Amino acid sequence: MGDGAGRLAMIELRELEVMYGKRRVLHGINLTLKRGESLSIVGESGGGKTTLGLSIIGLVEGTVRGEILFDGKNLVALAEKEWKAIRWNRIAMVFQNVENALNPLYTVLDQVSEPIVVHKLGDRNEATRRAGELLNRVNLPEGRFYAYPHQLSGGEKQRVLIAMALANDPDLIIMDEPTTALDALTKVELINLMHTVCKERELTILLLTHDFYAASTLSDRMAVLYAGTIVEFGSTPALLSNPRHPYTRGLLRCYPSMTTTKDLQGIKGRIEFFDVGCPFHPRCTQSIGICREKAPRLEKNDGRFIACHRGGIIPLLELRDLSKSFDSLKAVDSIDLTLYEGETLALVGESGSGKTTTAKLIMGIFEATEGRIYLEGKQILGRDKSFYQRVQMIFQNPMESLSHRLSVLEAVREPLDVQKLGNREQRESMVRQILDEVELPSSETFLNKYPHQLSQGEAQRVGIARALILNPKLLIADEPTSALDASTQAKVVKLLLNLQEKRGISMLFITHNLALARKISDRLAVMLNGIIVEEGPSNEIVSSPLHPYTEDLLKAAPTLSSRVPTVPERTSERNDGTGCPYANRCNKVTEVCFNEKQRLSSLSTHKVACMLCTATD
Amino acid sequence: MHINYWNELTRNNFGKLGLAMLCLVLFIALFAPFLASYDPDEPSHSILMSPSFEHWLGTNDIGQDIWSRLLCGAKNTLLVALGVGVFTTLLSTVIGASAALVGGLYDRILMRLIDALIVIPAFIVIILVAAYVLPNVWTLIFLISVLTWQGGARLVRAQTLSLKERMSVYAARTFGANKRYIIIRHIIPNLSPILFAIFVHSATRGVFMEAGLAFLGIADISTVSWGLMMHHALRFYYLDVWKWWLIPTGLALSVTIMALVFIGHALETAMDPRLWEMEQEDWQ
Amino acid sequence: MKLPEIGTYAISFLIILVLIFLLPRMMPGDPLTAICGEEVLVEMTPELKAELMHRFALDEPLWSQFFVYLTGIMHGDFGYSYYYNAPVLEIILEALPWTLLLVGTSLVLSTVLSIFIGIESGWRRGKVSDKSLLTTTMILNGFPNFFIGIILLLLFAVYLDCLPLQGAKTPYSDLTGIHSMFDIARHLVLPLIALTLAQIPGSYLLMRNTMITTLKEPFVRTAKAKGLSEVAVRYKHAGRNALLPIVTTTGVRVGIIFTGALFIEIIFSYPGVGLLSYNALLMRDYPILQGVFFLVAVFVILANFIVDLLYRKIDPRIGVNNAEYAH
Repeated sequence: MGDGAGRLAMIELRELEVMYGKRRVLHGINLTLKRGESLSIVGESGGGKTTLGLSIIGLVEGTVRGEILFDGKNLVALAEKEWKAIRWNRIAMVFQNVENALNPLYTVLDQVSEPIVVHKLGDRNEATRRAGELLNRVNLPEGRFYAYPHQLSGGEKQRVLIAMALANDPDLIIMDEPTTALDALTKVELINLMHTVCKERELTILLLTHDFYAASTLSDRMAVLYAGTIVEFGSTPALLSNPRHPYTRGLLRCYPSMTTTKDLQGIKGRIEFFDVGCPFHPRCTQSIGICREKAPRLEKNDGRFIACHRGGIIPLLELRDLSKSFDSLKAVDSIDLTLYEGETLALVGESGSGKTTTAKLIMGIFEATEGRIYLEGKQILGRDKSFYQRVQMIFQNPMESLSHRLSVLEAVREPLDVQKLGNREQRESMVRQILDEVELPSSETFLNKYPHQLSQGEAQRVGIARALILNPKLLIADEPTSALDASTQAKVVKLLLNLQEKRGISMLFITHNLALARKISDRLAVMLNGIIVEEGPSNEIVSSPLHPYTEDLLKAAPTLSSRVPTVPERTSERNDGTGCPYANRCNKVTEVCFNEKQRLSSLSTHKVACMLCTATD
Repeated sequence: MHINYWNELTRNNFGKLGLAMLCLVLFIALFAPFLASYDPDEPSHSILMSPSFEHWLGTNDIGQDIWSRLLCGAKNTLLVALGVGVFTTLLSTVIGASAALVGGLYDRILMRLIDALIVIPAFIVIILVAAYVLPNVWTLIFLISVLTWQGGARLVRAQTLSLKERMSVYAARTFGANKRYIIIRHIIPNLSPILFAIFVHSATRGVFMEAGLAFLGIADISTVSWGLMMHHALRFYYLDVWKWWLIPTGLALSVTIMALVFIGHALETAMDPRLWEMEQEDWQ
Repeated sequence: MKLPEIGTYAISFLIILVLIFLLPRMMPGDPLTAICGEEVLVEMTPELKAELMHRFALDEPLWSQFFVYLTGIMHGDFGYSYYYNAPVLEIILEALPWTLLLVGTSLVLSTVLSIFIGIESGWRRGKVSDKSLLTTTMILNGFPNFFIGIILLLLFAVYLDCLPLQGAKTPYSDLTGIHSMFDIARHLVLPLIALTLAQIPGSYLLMRNTMITTLKEPFVRTAKAKGLSEVAVRYKHAGRNALLPIVTTTGVRVGIIFTGALFIEIIFSYPGVGLLSYNALLMRDYPILQGVFFLVAVFVILANFIVDLLYRKIDPRIGVNNAEYAH
């Protein structure tokens, strides 16, 4: 994808800045749009998308600074009379289909033919004929040509707006929210139409939208706009499957679509415009000092442009060649795993797969036989207080992990006691606060209760409270809900998601339940017999699993249908530790599988350890 | 809308000017007896005198002091303004609101009636009536109000209709409060902006109509009316007397009407949210 | 094209008829004088009285009187003026052309001017030209129409003595052709200016306000983006839309302009129906008053009706076909 070799830059924005009075709406915008490509600008309402579109066509009612280079001319400095040759002839805009976007007193045919006549590209008749052709092209029935705007439906008006923009055969078309206010089927029709028309005329498109669906189908590249700055910029499919700026990821998590599986989460805080520093920093889970002081520049970073002092979402926890053997049994066999800032990674596997061992290796409960662990980029050799302040764990059986002899207050306060933070009153008030957050009462009576007086759900929440009181960055949850009844499980899962949204905690969620895993995780890793056989974005793994084991797991995952599940048959008895651990149950098994152990291939974000799958990947 | 009308009026340039002018006229009306040196109705032998120290604006054709008459006329004008304003607003509100609240056939009949009446030119009807019976101030106020309430009624009805929608919501939320409570607590306060506007507008019309009718000779001769003064003065256009009899009176009348027009404009701008935000930018 | 509600106009018409009918009969005093004017007393003889009583069916019940009245109207019998000694209709028709000349030209002139300066003012909202125009018009708005007339009269006809003082044409001169037209024009100038000046503020303010709100509509931005010239955006797109309220209020303005003409004719002694009715008022010549009232009212109703018809052609959103595409 990248630079689109050989294509000329059609329009280039350099340090574009727009101010309405004292308010800066856009700053430091740097973008290049090449001839024939389509670029979408994505962001929430109020973020500055429309202003950007209007500044390119010269209709912004504010002060504009910087450069917009088009055909060698700087449009920012263009005189009004020079605009006449450019507007609609070279650059046209499909406006948002709001009430009265079209003049209510003239027929649609009239309005579509108007720019042709005005720019002297044809006389009245010629213009009318051409307008008719255009309306035809956008599938507007001929009976509607002489209709007035109020007589048309929303979809029809949108078509007219598109036809009107095409009238003078412009080089660049800017589309402002072309799919809003349309119902689902009309939306699909319009997207289809725009896709076809753009392809056949080789138009250069700038699409301004908050609708990821439209952006994903209509654009090759995507730029994410937040509070007037571009935070991420790259190829559309790459951005959508692997967002690398915290805002992009947050935005995608808010967007319900048929392919996302994780429950909806918001982004904490509200959009605010800042003059100094990164505009996203108060809502960012990985912000550091410099983020508040200096605004990051949009820089090239591994095939993408990201505006982040930390280079995008940083890896929080990295496991490299990690192994653990108990005598002859290799519980964890040389695994590579990365967990990123602010995300939930689900580690899925059956009992004996090594997932719990991995957790214990991370926590330092076991010593690794081989391999290295990195936290925030630094290798972890010993576990000290600062480590435990940043990484905490919650366990499967809450009753067992809470000491019988400590009351709720004492149990939750314990980490503070150990780390010697604050005085007695402060600690107690922090305990109350955290109990509030996990939706437990903070009354005297409750604080004095002992674990055996609590329900399973309450006990687990106490466990979570205790884990959170030090405000860790990483929470390792080892089957945190398996011992709970269904309703409690649901509530605890929701609580964890809320906490992630609010505090930006990263989670390593260990479970055997694939159905649950996909609802709570951004990324998923499947573990079998000590190795990781597949890893990638949850929705991708669930919709198109690559490894046979994953496929079988999916088939075995609980559904509410009445169909009786099939059990994967054992195809062979041989399993002596060498070769692929799934060889004896795999339905695609070949000779090679018994001899060579596979490793995760790293072609893309979706990795799989299977020779056969890699070939077809 | 939570706009403090007094604030908006005083911020807007027109509003400020209008209020100032109105206060001047009000002051004159209230203190005329103290400011006038002569009894306005008292004739004398010094007729058609030019301005002098004794008679600041000279005297008219039956020797009355013009300055005194000018000052006393203010009272009459403001009385008409107030009377027509109040009465018209009252009529508009009662008819408009009841039409909206009761609805059905009652509403349809009233609407038809309003549509039919609005087309009939008010002035001409009053002239016709006045030809038979010379009215006094109160009859005049009554007549003017009765012929001009239709526009206001339409506005009140429209506003009440939209409020009625919200009313059902209020009723539900205030746990079944009775109609009277809702009307007093919710409808009336929400109607007040429009009532203000109707008041100012009808007051303006009232002043204009009273003056116009007086100019034609249709006036209460027991009071001093500026319009009537102009009526008398015009007969002597060939003398110099128009300079201090006709013009000052006309100006006094114009100032009063202007004050009301300015206030009306300021109110209108304050009430229309779109015009309002733009005025804020300009006239700060 | 759907016809506007004729019913409402019919009701207005009916109310006027009833009003004219009832008024004299409800006033204190002799109904005969009330109907025929006080001048009739001068000529009253028993035979005349009997004849008149019979003509107006005054000895019969009210509703049959109304019937007589109606049939009279339909035959063009608007009564007889004892003052002028001629049928009312005849007298009115003599004065009517002058009023129509005055009112017609003033209506056209004031409407066109208001639209033009309203559009320009709205376009330049906030700038000096707009502010000064607005202030000037608001001040003008404060002057009652008769005062404007008086000022013009005193200034140009008395003080400067450059334009005629009264009348529609120079009396006793037998001018023809161009000279006649020029003479009429000279006499028309001051009344026309006075009447037009009085009309302008109302329409200008409406036009300006509508223009300001129209300029905020999305299609204005679309028009600019299409590369249309400023003038085209201002008039073809914004102006045309902003024009609609002016058209709707034309009917009302016809009523106002007739009333205004009344005052202007009096001041300039212009021999139209306004001056006619003023004199009738002074002489208590009721038949003339009733006739003029009827006429003016009919004119206004007609004007409203025509405007209603016209509006449907201008705004495509009103009309029969709307229901089909309503969302």
